[in-house]
Amino acid sequence: MQFFGGSAAAEMTPSPAAPPGTATGLAGNNANMLYIFNRNGVCLLYREWHRPLHTLDAQEDQKLMFGLLFSLRSFTAKMDPTSVDKGNLGVPLLPGQGCSFYSFRTNTYKLSFMESPSGIKLILVTHPKTGDLRDALRYMYNLYVEYVVKNPLYVPGSPIKGQQAELQGSSRFERVEGSGQQVHKLPILDSNPIQGKTNSG
Amino acid sequence: MGREVAESCVDAVVIEMVSAFCHKFYSAEPELAARRIEAIGYQVGHQLVERYTMDCPRFTDHLEAIKFICKEFWSELFKKQIDNLKTNHRGTFVLQDNMFRWIARISPNPLQENSTESSTPNDDNQAAQTTSMHLYFPCGIIRGALTSLGIPCAVSADISNRPACSFVVRIKA
Repeated sequence: MQFFGGSAAAEMTPSPAAPPGTATGLAGNNANMLYIFNRNGVCLLYREWHRPLHTLDAQEDQKLMFGLLFSLRSFTAKMDPTSVDKGNLGVPLLPGQGCSFYSFRTNTYKLSFMESPSGIKLILVTHPKTGDLRDALRYMYNLYVEYVVKNPLYVPGSPIKGQQAELQGSSRFERVEGSGQQVHKLPILDSNPIQGKTNSG
Repeated sequence: MGREVAESCVDAVVIEMVSAFCHKFYSAEPELAARRIEAIGYQVGHQLVERYTMDCPRFTDHLEAIKFICKEFWSELFKKQIDNLKTNHRGTFVLQDNMFRWIARISPNPLQENSTESSTPNDDNQAAQTTSMHLYFPCGIIRGALTSLGIPCAVSADISNRPACSFVVRIKA
């Protein structure tokens, strides 16, 4: 299944405004990260494959990300020209309410977002030329349901640790992201917890 | 056969049942919890086999009955057949399922915040314990099914390599 057609290394040309080296893509200067939040803002999973610049410490970074999405959702819903019913700006939105925000793109990265009806938010930060990742996000959500929710030992609302399937999910992500690119390969059959780069929310 | 239920519901009910018996009802005595779970499985197996053998003729011998369990009964329950059947021709049968659904999703969930190393023996222990608790239910189902077919037996499970698991059936002479 083709998830996106856009990001082959061969056809990349930097857009005029981008700083040099941004759009090369080959294990280059692109952020590739994944966040999964639950509806209360607890970061269930944070994976990074390539992040050259860490500005904040992990907790702050996750809070910032959650706050950003919370506000963006609210803002996009209120700005919607097609919907009739708009509440007040400060009122928190329920998962299905308002229009759904998919992604935003800057000259150095693209952030894709998906929220499930149960409030699980998946965020993927990728190369700016990446196409629409909604299918990939949906696939990852399915992995979450299959392996995390159905695991009898998982306590809902706690950070996901050491799940075999997250590694499978990450390898799938690499296939989505990395057709043609050199990506960081992670073992698939290993049941060790994700080392080092996973932070508990 | 009439009404159907989503598989996730069955999975969720089984998980919750095991968890309720192990942690709420008999939290101090895992043995009793295991027995209760197995007894529930016995009832379920008993009734299920009544339904599934409605149109079948009586089974000629034990092997036929076990083969029915491996093929039709298992397909009705788990949409696949038992992968391997071994017998010593003296009343012991080993039914091996290489990907048993109900325990396929169990993976250790370390509770300690600081564990960045590979899963500690504690977690593996916990996973093994949970897996064995989950296996009492299918053991009960098999025992109920066979007893209802007229073959009293004892069933135990063996999880040496997840997610494959074997059920050992010993027929009482």
